[in-house]
Amino acid sequence: MSPTHIQSIGLLIDICAAAILVTAFLIVSSRNLGFYIRLFALQSIFLGLVALLVVIGYGEMHILIAAVLTIVVKAVAIPIVLTKMIDRIQVQKEVGFSINITVSLLLCGGMVIVADSVAQSILAVQEGGGSAVSRVLSVSIALMLIGLFIMTTRKKALTQIIGLLTMENGVFLSGLSITYGMPLIVEVGIFFDILIAVLILGVFVFRINKTFESINIDALRSLRH
Amino acid sequence: MNQIVTTIATSLAHLVLVLAIAPLVTGVVRKTKARFQNRRGASVLQPYFDLAKLFTKEVVVSSVASWLFQATPYLVFGSMLVIALLVPTVITPVPLHWVGDIITVIYLFALGRFFIALAGLDTGSAFGGLGSSREMSIASIVEPAMMLAIFTASVTAGSTNLSIVVERLSASPLAMMNPAHLLAFAGLFIVMIAETGRIPVDNPATHLELTMIHEAMILEYSGRYLALIEWASQIKLVVFLALLSNMFFPVGMAATWSPWALTVGVGAFCLKVTVLAVIVAVIESMNAKLRLFRVPELLMVAFILSLLALILYFIIGA
Amino acid sequence: MSTILFSLLIGTPITASVLCAVFHRRRILEVISVTSAGVTFLWATWLMSVVIEHKTISSPEGWWYADGLSAYIAVIVCGSALVVALYSVGYLRRQVRSRNVDGRQLWLYYLLLNVFLFTMMLVLISNNLGFLWIGTEATTLATALLVAFYERESSIEAAWKYVIICSVGIALALFGIILTYFSALHVVPAAGNALNWSSLMVVAKELDPAVLKLAFIFILVGFGTKAGLAPMHTWKPDAYSEAPAPISALMAAGLVNVALYSLMRFYILVNAALGDGYASTLFLVFGLVSMGMAVPFILLQRSFKRLLAYSSVEHVGIIVFALGIGSPLAYFGAMLHLLVNAIAKVLLFLTASNVRLAYKSKIMRKVSGAITVIPVSATFLIVGVFALTGWPPFGAFVSEFTIVSAGFASGHAVPSILFIGFVVSIFVGFIYYISKMVLGTPAARVTGGDADTASLLLLGVLLAALLLLGVYIPPPLQQCIQNAAAVLMG
Repeated sequence: MSPTHIQSIGLLIDICAAAILVTAFLIVSSRNLGFYIRLFALQSIFLGLVALLVVIGYGEMHILIAAVLTIVVKAVAIPIVLTKMIDRIQVQKEVGFSINITVSLLLCGGMVIVADSVAQSILAVQEGGGSAVSRVLSVSIALMLIGLFIMTTRKKALTQIIGLLTMENGVFLSGLSITYGMPLIVEVGIFFDILIAVLILGVFVFRINKTFESINIDALRSLRH
Repeated sequence: MNQIVTTIATSLAHLVLVLAIAPLVTGVVRKTKARFQNRRGASVLQPYFDLAKLFTKEVVVSSVASWLFQATPYLVFGSMLVIALLVPTVITPVPLHWVGDIITVIYLFALGRFFIALAGLDTGSAFGGLGSSREMSIASIVEPAMMLAIFTASVTAGSTNLSIVVERLSASPLAMMNPAHLLAFAGLFIVMIAETGRIPVDNPATHLELTMIHEAMILEYSGRYLALIEWASQIKLVVFLALLSNMFFPVGMAATWSPWALTVGVGAFCLKVTVLAVIVAVIESMNAKLRLFRVPELLMVAFILSLLALILYFIIGA
Repeated sequence: MSTILFSLLIGTPITASVLCAVFHRRRILEVISVTSAGVTFLWATWLMSVVIEHKTISSPEGWWYADGLSAYIAVIVCGSALVVALYSVGYLRRQVRSRNVDGRQLWLYYLLLNVFLFTMMLVLISNNLGFLWIGTEATTLATALLVAFYERESSIEAAWKYVIICSVGIALALFGIILTYFSALHVVPAAGNALNWSSLMVVAKELDPAVLKLAFIFILVGFGTKAGLAPMHTWKPDAYSEAPAPISALMAAGLVNVALYSLMRFYILVNAALGDGYASTLFLVFGLVSMGMAVPFILLQRSFKRLLAYSSVEHVGIIVFALGIGSPLAYFGAMLHLLVNAIAKVLLFLTASNVRLAYKSKIMRKVSGAITVIPVSATFLIVGVFALTGWPPFGAFVSEFTIVSAGFASGHAVPSILFIGFVVSIFVGFIYYISKMVLGTPAARVTGGDADTASLLLLGVLLAALLLLGVYIPPPLQQCIQNAAAVLMG
């Protein structure tokens, strides 16, 4: 693997990571539920691309299946399931916020800076510069924080699912960046878990809609202390 | 002596090029929009005829307007001329590159905007004030975004001088694909749409009270004043497109004064500007104008993209 | 031989789940579930005896591992599952009779019960940290549908909160595991082994301390969410009160211990690697906070099951506090408390179900004079509450006393005093509500009878065990607890 080859792979990984971060910000800036799902699909595609680049660039074959699974499950299957769900329950496509878009975007920008400092302290362990892929750690931690932010500040049940999935994307990306991914069987198990979690949450969204006539989580406040 | 004469001559040539091309670019944008709407549309040369017509028309000035009203068109046009002299279009380095850099350019834009906003207020009409206040509130987010985007590009090159930025960038093609760079491009693109008053931020062809921003400020102008201001807007568009294409993708720019390099340079410039103009027109056709209170959200996206570009630059490195 | 044992431990619940998926007749489902729970309990005791003899066993490729700690908790979890399975038979029959549950729901219940047991066993015998994670997330998913079992508005809300909060927590825990893996990659020779706990323990001293400290925070928050440690406990009251009573019992006795097990594994690792009091301090703080946060919600409570849920938060706090003290005596107390808490929770949740059956309400205000309406269950209730809140001569008193003594002995005087204060306040709250429920005169309209004799007998056995543990801990049991405590010492 020649140095320029590695350098260009590193560049491509950087571009994909930047694209992932941009999709996360676009999700934060969006009001339309359909956009959330499409942006998430785009994000998963880029994530799969990063995994594929790790396979090609660093020869870690065990990630290949995880990369394919990311694209098939997270970029295709889950968005289809979620879109079908939106159509079935005919939900109002506007997403309500508890923090408006302008402030949200600024907060998320701050989170990226925080994520970077955390990542730097982790990466300090590595002797030498570390590989190109380890630079992506900041993006992955930022993605986790932004996913958490989306979950707590957007008011539709479906957006909480997307926030959760964004967090999982961030964790997967962090695994790729510092450890070139975990052993195959663990990654497959994690995927399976996430898929079932989405399905179960989907079932719940249906039931929430049936009982509450909306999927606005403001309605879910009957249980107190 | 020879030096001074060449500099003046080349600067003039540069200026004439930009002045001449500006209406054509606007014409291209309008023609593309018309095509999208399934019309044949006016010819691409129509803006020239419009300007010529306006120069012959009579000027009507409100009786309550002050000297500011009559000075503004010249000020705005003048600032645009200076910017046109500073922005690399065909050749790098620009003949007058030692006069100013990016920060000068940003503040010249701000100068023009400032005076137009004042002129809008000057006539005492409600529409003018309305336009000015809207323009200023948009400007408050646009300017930081523009600065951040441009600074990212200049941090990459290590200088704020436009010509140096372009030179350093054209020397290393790989740096053009840097994600920080691409993000800054995206941010600056949205800023351009806001600064030049295009859909989805502002409609350049509307005179409805609810929807106009730039048009509201210049509503009272007529005759040669209006011609100058229109021309200045068109130059603004070209300059921004030139900034976008040359600060981020400076391919094909002439490095010397040889005829062959110049031809390639002119051709590359025209091609890049035309492509970007068509893209602007496509975006205008595919989007509806945003409601006014949603515009800050779009601009905040631009700001964040630029901020991200800067952060990523420090994370990922050049 | 180890492979056989491990495959039996996981294989039995899996087979039972598959069989439940296939057969839908109520009788068959009952038989499958009870047999599977019983057989798994047998395997767990076998595991315990093997471990007493050999100290640790692991499978050849290193994915599965068991020592004194895993075996001890496995026995507790399987025992709870067995009791719950036995009780479920009577419970579901009653529900079917009163038309609260239809055939399809009954089938779903037994299926998910077996899957739940499988996922818990998966966590308990994992050596691979990745499997630990997968199993823990799987427990959330298996119980999610059970929490939403009755399809009321409140159940769905509770289940939603449960899944979302636990999944967020577990995602953070995964990041912690990745960080641990990262710190190990430099030192462990074969990359595949860097996720195995036993291999990590060997090279613990060489793991990077800064990364491990950060990883531990994420893991504490993540698995702490699953265990119901404050301030990540907010899902617990809702989930416990909405799930069917036997499931709440198994969650309070089984799931909590499984989550604590994961925390303990990382605690041992981080202590071995860092050698200072970093992890202990965190445990002390979180333990006390959990206990403290439970107090106001217990003192001002409307529903009995929520009361029990907050008690669960308190007891998790107690165990974590004891782990934080870090002396052998404290570990002994913690392990004993694990056992006592499990038995008491199972007893109380199931008794609560009997009370609910008779009074048709979960609100404590509406329940009074239980001693006259359902004398047996009422006795279990009040005696069980005494046992739970640490009144002598019950087991909880012994364990809590041990913990407090350990606290004072190792110099944590102020935390121990706080501990005593919290325990006493909670005791007061409980006694206040329970005495109002049990004594007094019942409302006129109350008619319902008690549960069937078999179920009551079962509960009686539990109560007897609690009483026994307070006065005499049989030597074999003492040996098991000491083994578990020894593992915790590292």
